[in-house]
Amino acid sequence: MGILTRAIRNISRRKTRALIVIIALSLALTLLIVLPPNINVSTKNVKGVINALTANANYVNSTVTLAATEIDGNLGTNFSLGSFLNGAYGNVNTTKVFTQYNTVSITDYSGLNKIPDVSTVIPVLEQNVPQLTYGEVDGVPLDNASLLKDYPSILPANIIEGRNLQADDSGVVILQQNLANIYNVTVGSTFNISGTNFKVVGIEGPEAVNTTYVTMSLADAQALTNTTGQASDFKIYVDNVDNVNSVATRITSEYPKLQVSEGLSQVNSVQQVLTLVNQQVQTAQNVMNQIQNNGLIEISIAVIADIAIILFMMLYSVRERTREIGTLKAMGASNTTILGQFIFEGVLLSVMAAVVALVIGGFGATTLAKLLLPHPTIIFPSAPGSNSGMMLWFTNYATVTPELVLEGLGVAVLLGALGSLYPALKAARTRPAEAMRYE
Amino acid sequence: MSDLVLKIENLTKTYKLGKRDVQPLTNLDLEVKKGEFTAIMGPSGSGKTTLLNVIGCIDKASSGKVLIDNVDIAKLPESKLYKIRRDKIGFIFQNFNLVPYLNARENVELAMELAGKFKGQRKQRAKDLLATVGLSGREQHRPQRLSQGEQQRVAIARALANDPAIILADEPTGNLDIANKQEIVKLLADLNQKQGTTIIMVTHDEQVAAQTQRKLFLSDGKISEDKQAQIETPFISQSKSKETF
Repeated sequence: MGILTRAIRNISRRKTRALIVIIALSLALTLLIVLPPNINVSTKNVKGVINALTANANYVNSTVTLAATEIDGNLGTNFSLGSFLNGAYGNVNTTKVFTQYNTVSITDYSGLNKIPDVSTVIPVLEQNVPQLTYGEVDGVPLDNASLLKDYPSILPANIIEGRNLQADDSGVVILQQNLANIYNVTVGSTFNISGTNFKVVGIEGPEAVNTTYVTMSLADAQALTNTTGQASDFKIYVDNVDNVNSVATRITSEYPKLQVSEGLSQVNSVQQVLTLVNQQVQTAQNVMNQIQNNGLIEISIAVIADIAIILFMMLYSVRERTREIGTLKAMGASNTTILGQFIFEGVLLSVMAAVVALVIGGFGATTLAKLLLPHPTIIFPSAPGSNSGMMLWFTNYATVTPELVLEGLGVAVLLGALGSLYPALKAARTRPAEAMRYE
Repeated sequence: MSDLVLKIENLTKTYKLGKRDVQPLTNLDLEVKKGEFTAIMGPSGSGKTTLLNVIGCIDKASSGKVLIDNVDIAKLPESKLYKIRRDKIGFIFQNFNLVPYLNARENVELAMELAGKFKGQRKQRAKDLLATVGLSGREQHRPQRLSQGEQQRVAIARALANDPAIILADEPTGNLDIANKQEIVKLLADLNQKQGTTIIMVTHDEQVAAQTQRKLFLSDGKISEDKQAQIETPFISQSKSKETF
């Protein structure tokens, strides 16, 4: 017969009362066992949504390739099939669809500069090189230092290693990271394209879209692809945003071969989507806050209820057993023994309730989480101009796992000890002479 | 005080009753020798129970000395007093004060458990003590299934559990019928005579007090001796011839 036996005997003395207390405690403990993991799962879900939305926003952002005052006039593409030796797949011949960029003589399009309101025209060359299996060449003019200074956007934007291209560079390239990884190339390496060696001076970070450009000077690109004096694309800069539409119209009529994209409309379209995406991120964050706030309130109520039930139950027990406490003290029980006895009884009650709570939680965790936590639906679009979107709702809920069982019992022990601490102290401090007189 | 188990000098106890100061014990002196069976008598409210509580370390003296086995308990803090209660004192109460959810053996064992005795040791001793008080075969009965006389016997066995220096009995026969009263007093007297147990018993019952070796009267906060009470009674002689321990 030890402290455990005494505690069990005492609890079982008043079976109905103990049962009512255990049921009440178990309801509070069920919430404490079920809610926190479900709040975690829901928070994780919403964070996933926020990450998806942010990724979506980044992707949408990456689709903006033109500045508002920029007009892209390119000459379109053809496709051709090419056969090449693919080292990556064990030296077997592989057939690939190559995008062939149409080119024109830059001189033939020198009139673009003379269109009113056009401030600058920069010819660039995009070309596929059959020997460069996984990438394509991008040539930008480097022979005009002031042009580079005024329009740095024609150069690679995100150099993560080494340096960017600069005026009068020749025989050097910037590789996008995807391509550098494929060909195992670092800054300082020599990179051979179709028999020509280039020195790698920088690595450009990847964009959201898996692009694989090798950027070099326009002259080098033209020499490499036998397109001297030619360009596949003209970056046309207008002096004012207000004039973009009229200039684009004139280019379309005077140079019908050019496929014109207006930076302004692209920017506007993307801005709209980004605004929507940001609103959705805000909604998702609000949802997360709502889940956490609701959960916190419900958990607080459950904790207070749990402690209050144990507190009142144990206070009643101490009062009811005052003479017993006096007798124990008269027999030589120390204050610590009395304190331990009552705290142990509170903890035991709480643990009994936790076992019931775990059974309730085992069967009803999902139902309770659905009832007590918000589980909204979030809809957001995927890309500008796309009708498809994603709708997210939460279907995964935390269930009672072995870890949760241990946590639940731990919470029960803690709350049992907290709830019974004051009554136990009161019992321990009872003066035996007074306790013996208590009727 | 080689053969003195209890020595009280100038004991005064004052407490507040509402706004009034009450002094049930005033400069009280008392000596009890080892092996004495002492009865303390006195009118209601004379301070008999207060004196017993002070000796039993469950109430504090306002002033004076209370020496149990040469230790002045009046000066000890609660952190040490519980050990005196546990090791030196055995209480017997008028209302028995058994723990209702423990059986007879467990009630006796509880006193030993508090003293840190091992389970096997205390179980056997509890059985032996219950046999001593005539409760063999009743070890598993809870208090509510025992008669009042039997309950008081369990309480006596419990009081003896840790071999205390003094047994303090507060009106031990107060709730018993005549037959049980005689049985309990006989049991206490036999314990005293056969085992040399020192017993201080508070009673207002002349017949019960007459069975003790020494009768003291508490009045106006002071103790006075009644020499006549030291004459052995026929009742104790009877028990000597019949009971063996």
